[in-house]
Amino acid sequence: MLDTTVDNMIEEKPKIIARDVKVVYGDKEALRDVSLDVMDKTVTAFIGPSGCGKSTFLRCFNRMNDTIANCRVSGSLIYDGQEISAHDPVTLRARIGMVFQKPNPFPKSIYDNVAYGPRIHGLSKNKADLDGIVEKALRRGALWDEVKDRLHETGTGLSGGQQQRLCIARAIATEPEVLLMDEPCSALDPIATAQIEELINELKQSYSVVIVTHSMQQAARVSQKTAFFHLGNLVEYNDTGDIFTKPSDPRTESYITGRIG
Amino acid sequence: MQDKHIVTSFDNDLERIQAHIMKMGGLVEASISDAADSFLLRDVELAEKVRARDASIDELETLINDDAARVLALRAPTAIDLRLILSVIKVSANLERIGDYSKNMAKRTSVLLQMREIDNAASSLRRLAKEVELMLKDALDAYIQRDPQRALEVINKDKDVDQMYNGMFRQFLTFMMEDPRNITACMHLHFIAKNIERMGDHVTSIAEQVVFLTTGERPLEQREKEDRTSHDVNMSLDPKTET
Ligand SMILES: Nc1ncnc2c1ncn2[C@@H]1O[C@H](COP(=O)(O)OP(=O)(O)O)[C@@H](O)[C@H]1O
Ligand SMILES: [Mg+2]
Repeated sequence: MLDTTVDNMIEEKPKIIARDVKVVYGDKEALRDVSLDVMDKTVTAFIGPSGCGKSTFLRCFNRMNDTIANCRVSGSLIYDGQEISAHDPVTLRARIGMVFQKPNPFPKSIYDNVAYGPRIHGLSKNKADLDGIVEKALRRGALWDEVKDRLHETGTGLSGGQQQRLCIARAIATEPEVLLMDEPCSALDPIATAQIEELINELKQSYSVVIVTHSMQQAARVSQKTAFFHLGNLVEYNDTGDIFTKPSDPRTESYITGRIG
Repeated sequence: MQDKHIVTSFDNDLERIQAHIMKMGGLVEASISDAADSFLLRDVELAEKVRARDASIDELETLINDDAARVLALRAPTAIDLRLILSVIKVSANLERIGDYSKNMAKRTSVLLQMREIDNAASSLRRLAKEVELMLKDALDAYIQRDPQRALEVINKDKDVDQMYNGMFRQFLTFMMEDPRNITACMHLHFIAKNIERMGDHVTSIAEQVVFLTTGERPLEQREKEDRTSHDVNMSLDPKTET
């Protein structure tokens, strides 16, 4: 396992370099010495049983764990040549965007949902500029055609799938480099799920996407790299094709084949 | 051997498919053996039995393929489960081909009864067939026991079959040159020998599937044919040298 991980590290360009990352909640260890490189322009899937630490690890990437009182992160996480803990959290979250399990649009207009980030980060010079940013984000979010005539209606009035694409558009409006998604489809029907998966595939042309999913078929469909977590350990990290045809660790094998391990 | 699936019906599906493979394997082993015996004993009834059995072998292949397609569609198998499904599709195809070759061999029994006997030919052919039958038995045992080591031994044995075939080829050639009246019989005998040699290749392919199933890797080395002489001469004589 270690060997292949090392191979993967040298053949492509890493976007985030995690080394010996450890996370505790109070005195409870949630993540143990996780080392992994998140590659650029790649979809990376985190899979594993509930409570194995996938979300915890994902939240390390944009300092979301800082907001949890008893949570402590140690080890090293390098983004853009610098420790993540040294980045300003607000700027960091503009460059490493996040989409959550439940679509959570602000109770504002579709337009304002998307314009929110660019506004607070001062990314637009004027109204026309901002309009352009909103349109581009909604297009990339594969939502533009459905909402272009009702941009000033409230975002919460959209269907679940549309709301999730709105949240993705909101996250990419600040031109992030990395997009984190924590079970983004678990509240969606299969068609809306397929649309999000198609979108993820498009987004990887420009971003590095990390997706936590409890659907192994989804991991297989959308990702190029898969990391399997178990009880706070990173068990195996490899090309998705290899993980699903010849996993090297018996724990991975048991999990992905649906066996009682 | 392997932990059970959380969904038991998945285990049942996989067990059913493997049971069919073993049943098919048993029928094919019997066919090789009966075909070779019918030949040695000049037993037309036994030959007829081989022909009849081939229908059941074909049916099993269809059944296995249908079941494999269902598992692929409904269970989306991964890892060892996926490799198992891929391997049964291939193994059943190999078994079906071996069955066909046995049938073909049995068919020639009645034809050859009307021809002059060639020294030792029937017993050498039977020895060759016996060797292949044993390899098949080992390959199927390796399959069911998930034993890649044993599969590799089978793969190595294919060289012996090739060598035996090459020897027989030269012998038939000699007979034909000695007396042109031997030609028709020797041509038939040679087809049979060639068919048995091809059976060996299919058995080897089954053994390779065992390696793939258990390790996820293909056996690296492609075996070099040790003796290429008959292969080269063959091209001009045997219309279906490489099938
Ligand atoms: N805010 C929190 N406070 C205390 N423990 C937490 C908190 N969040 C997660 N945990 C614990 O950390 C472990 C990993 O959780 P999590 O990262 O959410 O797992 P996953 O996303 O893989 O389901 C679990 O044991 C969970 O109970
Ligand atoms: Mg989670």
